[in-house]
Amino acid sequence: MAVSSELYEAILTGDARTAHAATQAAIDSGIGPMELITGSMVPAMNEVGRLYEAEEYFVPELLLAGRAMKSAMELLRPLIAAAGLKLSNRIIIGTVKGDLHDIGKNIVASMLEGSGFEVIDLGADVPPEKFVAAVQEREPHVVCMSSLLTVTMPVMRTTIQALESAGVRHKVKVLIGGAPVTQQYADEIGADGYGDNASLAVSAVKKLCAVA
Amino acid sequence: MQVNRHFYLGLAERGVRMPIGADLVLHEEPDPEAVRRDGLSLGRVIERAARRWNTPLALPLMDLRLEKYDLLALASIPEHEAEAYQFSAPLDEQTMTALCDVSATSYCAGSLARNQAIAHIASVPGLLPVGMVIGPFSLATRLMRDPITAVALTGMGGDEQQSPEIQLLLQCLRASEAAVLRSIRAQVKHGASAIVVCEPAACTAFFSPRQLKAGSNSFERFVMGPNQRIRAALELASCDLIFHDCGELIDSMVADFAERLHPVILSLGSSRKLWDDARLVPADVVLFGNLPSKSFYSDAAMPIETLANLTRELIDNMQACGHPHIVGSECDVLFVPEAQHAIRAKVDAMMSCATHAGNAPQQALAGTAQP
Repeated sequence: MAVSSELYEAILTGDARTAHAATQAAIDSGIGPMELITGSMVPAMNEVGRLYEAEEYFVPELLLAGRAMKSAMELLRPLIAAAGLKLSNRIIIGTVKGDLHDIGKNIVASMLEGSGFEVIDLGADVPPEKFVAAVQEREPHVVCMSSLLTVTMPVMRTTIQALESAGVRHKVKVLIGGAPVTQQYADEIGADGYGDNASLAVSAVKKLCAVA
Repeated sequence: MQVNRHFYLGLAERGVRMPIGADLVLHEEPDPEAVRRDGLSLGRVIERAARRWNTPLALPLMDLRLEKYDLLALASIPEHEAEAYQFSAPLDEQTMTALCDVSATSYCAGSLARNQAIAHIASVPGLLPVGMVIGPFSLATRLMRDPITAVALTGMGGDEQQSPEIQLLLQCLRASEAAVLRSIRAQVKHGASAIVVCEPAACTAFFSPRQLKAGSNSFERFVMGPNQRIRAALELASCDLIFHDCGELIDSMVADFAERLHPVILSLGSSRKLWDDARLVPADVVLFGNLPSKSFYSDAAMPIETLANLTRELIDNMQACGHPHIVGSECDVLFVPEAQHAIRAKVDAMMSCATHAGNAPQQALAGTAQP
């Protein structure tokens, strides 16, 4: 049973307005932010992931659920910060340099956030040095890289090499994904994980953080 | 000039195989980026690609950025900013008027080169000058930050009065349709006999089958409506429609493209089984594709023997179902520097492998397939 069944349902059906209202109502009734995240939002996003895997949900439903989840997080984030609480693990995510396709990356970012991770989204067309700088400054547990084009895939390797050169590769796990990317390619370039789709990417991140 | 459907059906009958491979040939040039902007040099690259793969279909580069450059130039957004540029809020009347100006004739260097390349091909005996545009919906999705949400909100019953996202999508779509029509007009003027309309975003990543099943008209509104108007414009210009969509599709999408747009060629991605799709496609529409060119770069993900087997399976099944078919790549085969040998070897395998029935590919078509 979800802590707030209204919030759970709103995320499941991708209703951002109701999610926002339900979150506010839950806060007003004294429910803590972490309790809402772990008790309603994470289960809702897990269910969304399950429905996607079962091909009952598709990319649009994932995005709508992520959008609903974000509208709830807008209210929770200041409360989390004010209480000095921390989300479970920090993830840095971006689409690699030369690639402007960010839909897949956005979906993964939303689902990660909905799963309770702190997500720092570097955006699209992210050069290796920006990934390196973000790792140095923000000390994430996992770096997620996305590429939709075969021509930009090699930048994933370059980025991993840049992390190595900067001496921070051992501090983070690296997960890659995107339409042309495969597990073999992840192995070939020395990534720690691969997500065939958004839902599996979240599972892989959980595994890498050992929070599964 | 419009070419008779029999021409395309004849190509299928003669067993033509071809990748969408101009990008591979382009990268044999010492300075590919310079060639992209030089119409005659680009035309020679396209000619060489057609000759190499023994096809009269002179397919240009699948550069789906050009219409966006041309469109955003009308809003004074320079080319170097255009690729990454996205609108984030509904547009004012003045911007919309500029973007929808159907009489605008300014084109970026890449578009000018493409048009001149078409003119070059039109002067070469035995080759069919083919143009290329991004489809209106796919272009619209590149103009805004979060197009999927806008489509999905429409699918939930939202409208432009309630949602700025939907309002922006409709504006981008209107501007995109005008840009595509402008591009088509220029390409036809330079001699294109057929135009490939690429609509990869018209797929289940943008249109939820769950919402469509529940009665959403979003696919009709955002994809079929604009493309039917594009089709009518092509018909008026006596130019053939080749429709390409390598996205993930459901059957009703394939049927809509095949029956209602009724292209001369329908090119689909490798997620489709073409021999199953044949039942959805009229017998006078040639199916094209759909070998998994997006995996050609990797010998681990796509060993050459696997590709040869897929090619054989495709040819055998298409012959068995009797639907006209041209063996091809699911999309354009892009040059990847670190994988160029793997990619070329896959293209060679696709072109040359014999079928289980022992049929070798047809050779030396260029001299016999005068359009």
